[in-house]
Amino acid sequence: MIIFWILAGITLFGIIGYLLQIAAVRSYTAPLHSGESMRFPRSFSPVSILKPLKGLDDGLFDNLESFCNLDYPAYELIFALQNRNDPAYKVVGKIKDKYPLKDITIVVEHCNEGLNPKVNNLIPAYARAKYDLILISDSNVRVEADYLGEISRHMEDPSVGLVSNLIRGMSGRSLGAVMENLHLNSFIVGSVCFLDKYLKMPCVIGKSMLMRKTELEAIGGFRSVKDFLAEDYIIGERIHRLGKRVVLSSHLINNINEYWGIKRFVNRHTRWGKLRWQIGGAKYISELAGNAVFISFMPLVLMPISWLSLLLAATVSALKIAHDYYIGKKLCADMNPLLYLLSPIKDLIIGVAWFVPILSSTVAWRGNRYIIGKDSLLSPYPEKGRAVRGPRIVTAIRTRLAWSKT
Amino acid sequence: MLLCDFHIHTTYSDGSVELRRTIDLFGQAGFDVIAITDHAVNGDNPVGKLAHRFKYSITAANFGQYMAHIREEAERALDKYGMLVIPGIEITKNHLTTDNSAHMLIIDIKDFIPACISYEEIFLEAKKQNALTIACHPHYMSAKSDRDTLFLWNNRDKYARYIDAWEIANRDDVFNVISLKKYPYIANSDFHKPRHLYSWKTLLNCTKDTDAVKQCIKHNKGVALTLFRN
Repeated sequence: MIIFWILAGITLFGIIGYLLQIAAVRSYTAPLHSGESMRFPRSFSPVSILKPLKGLDDGLFDNLESFCNLDYPAYELIFALQNRNDPAYKVVGKIKDKYPLKDITIVVEHCNEGLNPKVNNLIPAYARAKYDLILISDSNVRVEADYLGEISRHMEDPSVGLVSNLIRGMSGRSLGAVMENLHLNSFIVGSVCFLDKYLKMPCVIGKSMLMRKTELEAIGGFRSVKDFLAEDYIIGERIHRLGKRVVLSSHLINNINEYWGIKRFVNRHTRWGKLRWQIGGAKYISELAGNAVFISFMPLVLMPISWLSLLLAATVSALKIAHDYYIGKKLCADMNPLLYLLSPIKDLIIGVAWFVPILSSTVAWRGNRYIIGKDSLLSPYPEKGRAVRGPRIVTAIRTRLAWSKT
Repeated sequence: MLLCDFHIHTTYSDGSVELRRTIDLFGQAGFDVIAITDHAVNGDNPVGKLAHRFKYSITAANFGQYMAHIREEAERALDKYGMLVIPGIEITKNHLTTDNSAHMLIIDIKDFIPACISYEEIFLEAKKQNALTIACHPHYMSAKSDRDTLFLWNNRDKYARYIDAWEIANRDDVFNVISLKKYPYIANSDFHKPRHLYSWKTLLNCTKDTDAVKQCIKHNKGVALTLFRN
């Protein structure tokens, strides 16, 4: 019974976390509903938008097209690919043909300076950027016409070094995509808002990062982060250390996830978990404690099933469904309300996936395999077969425990 | 080169994605030419009757609505994605044995062609409508032997003259026997689910209009295959 009450106590901690997340999200989404987000900058500095591309993201054509219809007087679009055989090359060609008057450059250049394939795409794109303001934007986001005007107004303040955005998962049509969007619209958005509001930690989401060339070059440019998986976090952290503010804009951008499989959903969050484990160390444990649904189901696994443990799991699941539904409404995530019933299942999957980063430091990303080290520093994956896997796991645990002590 | 797929199913038959979303899936992926080819199943045996019963078939009754919907979506696809959409059907002659089963695409169909008439009548009707006839998945498919449709291949001496092209590749399968016989060929996805987008496709070196595409396939010059992977 002691185990039950310990787990119930941890569950309560998670529920308090949910409430704090709601408060944090409310404070960021308030401008959306008050119309404050419609304020435009007084001056419109021209912007170079860098779009690293690899493969076909869901709704790629519409995602890219949304950047051709921005309500902003001066900007250029630079689409960067590693080779012409990439299926995205055909799509950007069509976009360029459809918008001949837009300032669009397609850069096809094989660059393998670093281990991070996104940064490898950004290096040649950056070399062609004309303007001082640089916006890095992922290929799986879709934006509204006022997006650039809204985020660039923050850069009028010289103390601001980087502007990032909240993301909202949209358009899920398969089970994996729905789970992905549920997770983005609850845990990810909630955590980002929570960390930014209460802990004042610079939270940078790499899907949208606006910065000046001067600051980017002051931290060593893209080449300085070419071997980091979490290049967005490192850039934000270094700009913060320069004494500049890292701002989280309340302007929501849409992350389009339509046809994901469950495997892809699990893979992505295992990868992101590994990243947070390597960056956050012991703080990563709070994520499990904060997963109230998973903890509330633990008594059902660890103890004989009782009405009390069933009641705990059912109550917490209902609360989590309500929590996710509320945040979803706040974010204006266009999702069928019935799909929120999947939220507890998603949290159970995430709870199981939480353990993977502790056991493995290998990541597979965009067709490449790496070993991930401290601060998400990548090193090539040694292809030596299964025999070395066991000792490597032990080494990984030892290394992480050593870091946690420092 | 035009990136093409001439074998696509929607919820008008046994596909899992409705027509509009299918058009968007291919448009978003940068395709230049596609053909919508839902099944028109023979209703003269129990298998076909079931397909008709559960509305997994284009019939004379819904053919008009099917064509009107494709035309409407074709306009939208051309305007939005610069993608040419050609209407078609897949004549589906299913029998209990694979040796007697045959599927063939009728590309650029104008009037309904029932699947229960004879092969000769189907070919002649297609020619009359200036439509292309393509024998699809004509050989043994990997791990899907229950779905093999071998009739046309087994009777190629008799029917090859009526067939404009053969599917040399269907989704993940490649039928090298077709190139050994030097028959004209194309490659298609046999799209039923979103993941089937990533499969064998045809590249055509011609202008983007229906007649040029048909001529290119018929003459089989400027035709290439590509394995479309993400």
